[in-house]
Amino acid sequence: MSRDEIIDITNKFLIEEFEVESEVVQPEANLKDSLDLDSLDYVDLVVIIESNFGIKLESKDFTDVNTFNDLYDLIGSKLHAIA
Amino acid sequence: MADKKYALVTGGSRGIGRAICIALASELNYPVLINYQSNIQAAEETRDIIVAGGGEAELIQFDVSNGAETHAALANWKDQHPESIIEVIVNNAGVARDGLFLWMENDDWTTVINTSLNGFYHVTKPLMQDVLRQRYGRIINIVSVSGVKGTPGQTNYSAAKAGLIGATKALAQEIAKRNVTVNAVAPGFIETDMTHTLDEKELKKLIPLNRFGKAEEVADLVCFLASKKASYITGEVININGGIYS
Repeated sequence: MSRDEIIDITNKFLIEEFEVESEVVQPEANLKDSLDLDSLDYVDLVVIIESNFGIKLESKDFTDVNTFNDLYDLIGSKLHAIA
Repeated sequence: MADKKYALVTGGSRGIGRAICIALASELNYPVLINYQSNIQAAEETRDIIVAGGGEAELIQFDVSNGAETHAALANWKDQHPESIIEVIVNNAGVARDGLFLWMENDDWTTVINTSLNGFYHVTKPLMQDVLRQRYGRIINIVSVSGVKGTPGQTNYSAAKAGLIGATKALAQEIAKRNVTVNAVAPGFIETDMTHTLDEKELKKLIPLNRFGKAEEVADLVCFLASKKASYITGEVININGGIYS
């Protein structure tokens, strides 16, 4: 899966799940602030990523995820690991 | 949304657990998952009582003190019921290994802690994601008057139940935002297999209501907490002990 595909799929479900405008999702914007995520919202984030991409995530995977780009990188690396 | 919403009761084959299974099925119409460790006959009896009353029940065998076994059994159940969710979790399984602390064997300490306290972790944690996603759930931990005030001869049991009370209060605050409540029910002396060796005639002098409680009375309280009527109660320990000061 290409990075552009990952970005398209991810942005689509983030906008839908967290009910934000598409302009909010910018590659270098802060994920947590932009989507107004609290710690429990990460449960939803993990579930939708896992169901959309068929990968497994743990809370520690998010330690270095600050921006949307970081999230795309995380998904890409997990997909690469199972490819 | 899940098609079918279940209630799971650990240690549901006998005593208070059985009464809770029956009440959840008859009062709240939940299909009930009756967990048992080894006494399949008693578990089947509980199931038969529920079915005879027009309710629905399934058995699920695992030892709550064994994390891997519990996880595997719940994962297997979820695989077989992909459209269902366990939205009521009653952590009832417990064992007592009473004795003076001075003489308490390591095994008596760890067995009691592993069942009552670690069992809560083993069972509840794998089911958390579903209730959080659903934004509704009820977690009810059966503790004990021993965990509230301490009982001599039950240092292990008191410690396990007090630990479970702490977990109840912490988890309640952690997940309240998702409309999942976590409460504890602390029974005193209840007529069950666990208390049948006790001297009821002597002990009831200590109880203002002057009798042991009935498992059904505890089940009624659990049912209330499991219902939508208890939506604004979380992080509480409700005593049901006939008035024993605790």
